[in-house]
Amino acid sequence: MVLENMAGPWWRLCRRWTATCASTGLSETVCHFNARSVSSSASSLGRASWSSGPGNQRQPSALPTQMNQNLLNPTSSFTRHESRLLYPTLQFCSCRAAHSDAKLKDPFTLAQKDLTSLYDDIKKELFVSKEELKSLCDYYFDGKGKAIRPMIVVLMARALNIHSNKAGDLLPGQRAVAMISEMIHTASLVHDDVIDGSDKRRGKRTVNDVWGERKAILAGDFILSAASMALARIGNNTVVKVLSQVIEDLVRGEFMQLGSKENEDERFKHYLEKTFKKTASLIANSCKAVSILVNSDPEVHEIAYQYGKNVGIAFQLVDDVLDFTSGANQLGKPSAADLKLGLATGPVLFACQQFPELHAMIMRRFSSNGDVDRAWQYVLQSDGVQQTNYLAQRYCQEAIRQISRLRPSPERDALIRLTEIVLTRNK
Amino acid sequence: MLPAAWSRLSRGALAGRGQRTLSLFSSSGPSNWNKVVSDAEKIVGYPTSFMSLRCLLSDELSNVAMHVRKLVGTQHPLLNTARGIVYDSRNNLQMRGLVVLLLSKAAGPSHTASSLLAQDMVSGIYPSQRNLAEITELIHTAFLVHRGIVNLKDWTVSDGPLKDMQFGNKMAVLSGDFLLANACTGLAQLNNTKVVELISSAIRDLVQGIYYENASNTEENSLTDGVDVATWEEQTFLSHGALLAKSCQAAMELAKHDKDSQRLAYKYGKHLSLGHKLNSDLQPFMKRGMGEPMLFSMTAAPVIFHRQIVGQERWHQQLQQAKTLRNQLDYSKLLAAVKSEKGVSSAVDLCCYHSNKALEAIQAFPSSEARSALENIASAITKF
Repeated sequence: MVLENMAGPWWRLCRRWTATCASTGLSETVCHFNARSVSSSASSLGRASWSSGPGNQRQPSALPTQMNQNLLNPTSSFTRHESRLLYPTLQFCSCRAAHSDAKLKDPFTLAQKDLTSLYDDIKKELFVSKEELKSLCDYYFDGKGKAIRPMIVVLMARALNIHSNKAGDLLPGQRAVAMISEMIHTASLVHDDVIDGSDKRRGKRTVNDVWGERKAILAGDFILSAASMALARIGNNTVVKVLSQVIEDLVRGEFMQLGSKENEDERFKHYLEKTFKKTASLIANSCKAVSILVNSDPEVHEIAYQYGKNVGIAFQLVDDVLDFTSGANQLGKPSAADLKLGLATGPVLFACQQFPELHAMIMRRFSSNGDVDRAWQYVLQSDGVQQTNYLAQRYCQEAIRQISRLRPSPERDALIRLTEIVLTRNK
Repeated sequence: MLPAAWSRLSRGALAGRGQRTLSLFSSSGPSNWNKVVSDAEKIVGYPTSFMSLRCLLSDELSNVAMHVRKLVGTQHPLLNTARGIVYDSRNNLQMRGLVVLLLSKAAGPSHTASSLLAQDMVSGIYPSQRNLAEITELIHTAFLVHRGIVNLKDWTVSDGPLKDMQFGNKMAVLSGDFLLANACTGLAQLNNTKVVELISSAIRDLVQGIYYENASNTEENSLTDGVDVATWEEQTFLSHGALLAKSCQAAMELAKHDKDSQRLAYKYGKHLSLGHKLNSDLQPFMKRGMGEPMLFSMTAAPVIFHRQIVGQERWHQQLQQAKTLRNQLDYSKLLAAVKSEKGVSSAVDLCCYHSNKALEAIQAFPSSEARSALENIASAITKF
């Protein structure tokens, strides 16, 4: 029944936002909202419950909002907040209308000043006298990463500080959380590359390819222990708990990739839960941590958490789409790295609705000869890519709805702008 | 410069090392040691730690267990580590946890903190200290598993299918990470950021120690760049001592004991670990006659002492003399060479020194059966 409460206001917001976007000339976003066509094709093909179109009340479970409640649960607050502290969505819509395109700050520019010394600070945390180990640990902190997690964290921290009437700079603890988020992320990348046997990342050889698996694992462990020490030095037990949860989620998410579910509904749930654990938990809990450091209101922590969670899931959904679409233009050949690893991501799961032949391939993790190519073809013939993109949009809309409850600030608006960047990025 | 056969041999010795680490406590005079440990276990109430139970029963590790069966018949080290966890768990693996508990009990209830209630103690140990003992074991086990990762590029066709090794690595990374992640969340639940920082730094030390250990175990290094005894002690502290020393200190911090108690607990853990490592390094050199000579590492304490005593040049000669026609090392010959000099007795002396230092540290705690058990453990590491 959550849905009936939700569907109405949620779609009102969506339509309004579309209108706002159109009037302010953000045409690039509008194109993401011609969801109608997707939805009608979806229902005409009789999709299973999770591939429902917008506003379709009989097929509710694809709504990000509902996933928030039931699947990826952490008590989301969907009742309307009339609290004085919070800014209702309607107000957001009107204030958005007042903003011009140019005023929506670019998140990268806005976060720049807080991130200039990020990699240097991380390298200081990773101090170790043994030179070789040091160079392994520093390898990915070369300033060439997008540092998207620290960026979200510092923007969120500043938005929350303004929301909480705390003027001035970031708190030292908040800055540390930004750094720690990138360290935890990198440690998990190093281990993931060993697990997946990858030899390339960000255009260079992976740690395991250069130094071997034994050292790569130790480097990952070292980065994690340094992150954990920095975390402890913040001196806040709640923050330690929130970010330790991330480490556990990352591993559990990795374990979830080992199995395939027979049942299709379960499979999609499993996929979204895995996505939360592997990607969104870090962003969500980092956002929550910077909130805890400045504000004592659990409702505000929840806004930060929900924004991070929804953006995080959207980010990964787009990533899964890019595995099918990026490189197709430049190289003429797709990477399909996930398929090769035996992983069925969003586009495949949606495509399986249209082409049941995929089911057997998913179950055997694309291990038979030609499976990867055939699955690839099916996905392109289906609207799996559009469906996944569409799902990502809805997570972004939910992220916007959440963050809009904070008091207006350039950083808050940059976080809104960021959701568009997440959806339109192509690498 | 060295033939592949030697590298295979040294790798074999490496894989064997993991196993030895698991069983090393029982190797030092089995009957005596086992009695010391089982007496000590009675003192702390129930069996040392339930970490194995909670973690071993998790979906994640049952999953790994299923997959590890596929590794039977391959040479992946994870198999031996897993075997060790199952079969040796009674006394050996949970040794560190036991020491943490005994020290907690020997130090007694808190005198200062009002938040800690004496009635929460079970067998004279606070629940948080029991959790810490579990976490210590989790971390130790995680690194036993991560030590067993194989470098795929070093693997040759004759070693078996590469696919098995890839799969074994995947399982080893995942299960080690799982144990570590559980340690992290467990640490957070202790609600003491000082302890989180201390134990995290112990993890960092451990990683560093294992990194050195790997580096000095690669064949070229172990033959040419000999480390001196001081460096050996430094590195051994990182790889074998820091975790126990810092866990002992953290157990005192959890009960709000003063800095002095913390320092003494740290000292006990440090010297016990070093003495214990010396004991296990000495094992191959203490066995008399008969049977196959045990393989030993070129970084074992008696070898390090020996090399320092005879000098690099003599050592190289001895290595050459110990080479067989097929360019393999004749370990019994090398063993005899080491035994003929003072390397072994120097290592024994150092072992006794650390045992005494551990005993000295524990004297500051009030006399109790827990303290006696700690004394017995510290004395047992000098028995061969």
